[in-house]
Amino acid sequence: MTSAPAIQLRPEFEADEIGKAATGDVARKLTLWERITDMNSVRKLTILVIVLAVWELYARWSEVSELILPKFSKTAEALLDGVFNEQLLIMVWNSLTVLVAGYFIGLLIATLLTTAATMTRFGSDILSTLTAMLNPLPAIALLPLALLWFGLGADAIIFTLLHSVIWPVALNAHVGFMSVSETQRMVGRNYGLRGLFYVGKLLIPAAFPQILMGMKIGWSYAWRTLIAAELVFGGSISDTSEGASGGLGWFIFANQMDLRIAHVFAGLFAVILVGVLVENIVFNKIENRTIRRWGMQS
Amino acid sequence: MSTNVTKRDAELPDLVIRREFEVSDLEQAQTGEVAIKLSWMERIWNVDAVRKLVILLSLVAVWQAYTVGFDVEPLMLPSFSDSFVTLYNALFHGDLIYKIWFSIKVLIVGYSAGLFLAAVLILWATASRFGSDFIAMATAMFNPLPAIALLPLAMLWFGLGTASLVFVLIHSVLWAVALSTHSGFEGVSQTLRMIGRNYGLHGFGYVWKILVPAALPSILAGMKIGWAFAWRTLIGAELVFGASSGSGGLGWYIFESSQNIETDGVFAGLFMVILIGFVVENVVFRNVETRTVIRWGMQR
Repeated sequence: MTSAPAIQLRPEFEADEIGKAATGDVARKLTLWERITDMNSVRKLTILVIVLAVWELYARWSEVSELILPKFSKTAEALLDGVFNEQLLIMVWNSLTVLVAGYFIGLLIATLLTTAATMTRFGSDILSTLTAMLNPLPAIALLPLALLWFGLGADAIIFTLLHSVIWPVALNAHVGFMSVSETQRMVGRNYGLRGLFYVGKLLIPAAFPQILMGMKIGWSYAWRTLIAAELVFGGSISDTSEGASGGLGWFIFANQMDLRIAHVFAGLFAVILVGVLVENIVFNKIENRTIRRWGMQS
Repeated sequence: MSTNVTKRDAELPDLVIRREFEVSDLEQAQTGEVAIKLSWMERIWNVDAVRKLVILLSLVAVWQAYTVGFDVEPLMLPSFSDSFVTLYNALFHGDLIYKIWFSIKVLIVGYSAGLFLAAVLILWATASRFGSDFIAMATAMFNPLPAIALLPLAMLWFGLGTASLVFVLIHSVLWAVALSTHSGFEGVSQTLRMIGRNYGLHGFGYVWKILVPAALPSILAGMKIGWAFAWRTLIGAELVFGASSGSGGLGWYIFESSQNIETDGVFAGLFMVILIGFVVENVVFRNVETRTVIRWGMQR
């Protein structure tokens, strides 16, 4: 108690002059420079250009071996060369046809599995046991078996692609179906929806965000698996006999074997390009037309 | 139009007037048993674990019966018991356990390095608009690029061995985690942000105490995807060149077995891959989730 400081009385005072309140410009016109840098696409393009310029300058001045890091200009040349002289587009097309075949068959099987799982408890148990077991299994690990069972060729790749698509899609769709709200379910029952109509008209739209997420994950697994399969088993799995030109992974693999590193980079560019196109254009379109339009996702 | 109507009218049948009637004898309403005691059988069957175990056992039984009954060539599809015995022998009398340990060691190094780099990038992105743009750009470009496609380059840059495996693993983890963390941070509601500012949180404290907990569901989702990519990439990469660094990993074991046409060895390796994946997804991540996002009521 004794340690409490004495209360100090401050003398009262009046400030002679308070300056006028100033809030600065509330609505200032932005300069041209600020307006340009506020545009997202401009900023991102600048970053891209800077990164590419740094790459080019580094490769030029540090005298890194062409075999370690080719110049950007060389890579661009290699890409053009690949497109015009080495059937790169046909290779991309070959990869994509296999991918699309595997992806859609996988989606079909996943749909069947999930439908069975929503109808009966036993089906749901089977699905959850299978997905828990097989979803963590990388599809590429099945490739040696697939090669044994189906021989070299597209069949073996499609088998592994199926495996990489079915489980994530089925898992996500099933979880989505499970979390459809009871209210919506009862509305469906009230309309007398049953069986397939119940699934198609009620559960699928209500769980579409999760289904789409599963499809995106399935796509990315499938894409990774396909590239890995073509890379790992190189020429032995792609049909590279005369006339046929193999797939995109094979392009990377073959050029790496020949130490044409600029062409390897060109192949990587092509992989990135395809991935960006599918993820940002195809899936974005689907999202815009469905779940964003329905107001389920912002 | 009018002819249509008349035609339809003409086809209408005459109205039938039903006689009124009284049911003389209504039976007492029956609702069946509302609360019956379930029999033992039903109660056991209602346990999830029992049903799943039965499914698993019957799958194994079908496999075994098919291979034994139809005399399938063991090189194409070995019986379950053969695969299991091979697994047992490889685990306890062979060196499979060291191979698994080798794979897991590489995986942990790559995964944690990837997480660390992702954290650094994300901190930069929250601190400046330039960083945020850079992240958006880099993830959009590198996330769709399968990490395994970088393996040829990594082998060139870092030589054969663990370093290039780790490089590829980092690539597979970094972008997935950065992408979902970044979008998770952007989705944190303005209210939570303003509360943080009100408490005077700034910089690192603001990220750690407001943004990370608020965006933890997306961060965890990113970590799970990153783990799945890393696991797939590792097995894929080891299928190519696991043996070069001396001991080799689990993927190499599978590849070696398939090259020697020891299909039971392939299945034994697959069992282990499934087991490890199952444990990480359903034990490790599940535990983290129950202790954080589920406990905090952010996710069911």
